[in-house]
Amino acid sequence: MPIDPLAPPIEVRGLSKTYRLGFWMSRKVQALKSLDLTVNAGEVCGLLGPNGAGKSTTIKVLMGLVKASDGEARLFGMAPRSKESRRQVGFVPENPAPYEYLTGKEFLDLAGRLAGLSGKSLDQRIGEVLQMVGMERAAGLQIRRYSKGMIQRIALGQAIIHKPRLLILDEPTSGLDPIGRRQMRDLILAERERGTAVLFCTHLIPDVETLCDRVAVLVGGKQVRQGSVKDLLTSEAPLFETVLEGVPLSQIHAWGYQPKYSKEIGDRLILRTSDQEAQSLVRKVSDWSGKIIQLQPVRFSLEDLFLDALTEVKDTVGTEIS
Amino acid sequence: MHSFAALALNGFREARRNRVTLVVGMFALALLGCTTLVTDVTVHTFYRVLTDVGLGVMSVMLVLLAIFLSSGLLSREIERRTVFLIVSKPISRSLFLVGRLAGNMLTLSVLLVGMGAVFFVEMLMFRINISSAQFVAIGVLWFELFLLSAFGFVMSSFSSQIVSAVVTTGMYFAGHLANDIYAISSRSKSAIIQVVGKITYYLLPNLSRLSYRPQASYALSVAPSEVLGSIAYGTTYAMALVALAIILFNRRDFK
Repeated sequence: MPIDPLAPPIEVRGLSKTYRLGFWMSRKVQALKSLDLTVNAGEVCGLLGPNGAGKSTTIKVLMGLVKASDGEARLFGMAPRSKESRRQVGFVPENPAPYEYLTGKEFLDLAGRLAGLSGKSLDQRIGEVLQMVGMERAAGLQIRRYSKGMIQRIALGQAIIHKPRLLILDEPTSGLDPIGRRQMRDLILAERERGTAVLFCTHLIPDVETLCDRVAVLVGGKQVRQGSVKDLLTSEAPLFETVLEGVPLSQIHAWGYQPKYSKEIGDRLILRTSDQEAQSLVRKVSDWSGKIIQLQPVRFSLEDLFLDALTEVKDTVGTEIS
Repeated sequence: MHSFAALALNGFREARRNRVTLVVGMFALALLGCTTLVTDVTVHTFYRVLTDVGLGVMSVMLVLLAIFLSSGLLSREIERRTVFLIVSKPISRSLFLVGRLAGNMLTLSVLLVGMGAVFFVEMLMFRINISSAQFVAIGVLWFELFLLSAFGFVMSSFSSQIVSAVVTTGMYFAGHLANDIYAISSRSKSAIIQVVGKITYYLLPNLSRLSYRPQASYALSVAPSEVLGSIAYGTTYAMALVALAIILFNRRDFK
């Protein structure tokens, strides 16, 4: 069956996964609950969440490594386990483990053959990929001699060997040094330039800010935020941080203010309030003969968004079901 | 076919670069070479001694290797998570399994051919007539290795390498004793033991059907129909085990 050219690379509806654990499979753990996600062509989407959030489970369902308990996942409009959809996908798992007894070049050759390439076109493509991932010099070495960064690169190489239209990457920058992380980011961005859709999961917020067009925040198996990075950051009302001297917090409360954040350090008070509250607060502090040390807008970051989402979710998803 | 060949050849390459395979292979060839020393302690029965020791060495070494290779075939890949990179390619899990098993069998076949060649060269060196039963014994040994590998393969699809190896080794001995288990249990006065003995006999692969070493030692002629029957039995049993491994592996979640 040919793939639908208009179908999005990833379409997930109401996806849930419950693992059965223990010798008698009697213990149930819900790893993912009712996830909805769409990734369009040429888009980089980040799955952000703490450990145990369900990011890797989502990716494993998409790669057909685990079966969903409920809901549906489609790659290019087809089932994740179909060969046609897999031909369009490149995958790098978390802590990839290529065959250690092969050289980097041999592993790319195997990956290419399994993806349907052969002959001169495969040889040529191996050369290109080795250059792209910066592994030409180590291509003849057995993988058992590779560093973690080199393994990560060769794993990315095997994922892009067949020029996929979708890349699924599980923690692609984990364990890499700053230079390795930078190179990995550049490679992902180069793939996006080529029109490849990318879904990657991470708990590293700077990676998401640098790479992603859209982000889905998962906490405890539940999706708590989703949207474009820009929309998510601007949807929050801007906050102002005011540093005061000589005004106790009790007085701020007495004036009827409920700051989103407050901290007293000595006789200094740090407050975060809305724009309007900040303006009236400044007037009241001046009238009260208090001193305003600093007043500045606070840039709402993905980290704030992530931490807000974490405090909101107090559910039992990701824990054992009795 | 293209992906299948890539997987099978990769399996062969893995075995070739595995030190255990190399050491066992070299040791077996050295032992075969040393069987000529046994001729010093025998006067008339060169043929029997060389055949007994030669085929025995081949059988023991290759059986050990088959158990070692097959029991770790899938479990090692699953434990190390190498399987993630391969089953995410546009190939079915069944093809992956069959390709891996084919790689294993290719390794064992190459070793069997190599050992067989050394064995026959020795026979020629001592100017001993080669009998058809020797060819039959070596040929049917391949099917015994196939069956054993398929069993280790099934075990490996859901248990660790050590568990797979222990159970497969147990199955090897029990399989060779299948006829005795049946005979002993049928002599029992307890109906339960008789039934258990019968069930065990029918469930276990009857590996003595795949052993033609006694016939080779005494240069007895073997009816082609009997050999074909044994081959069909071994192949059917092994194919059923491969089918079971495919079902188990297809249902498996890789957490």
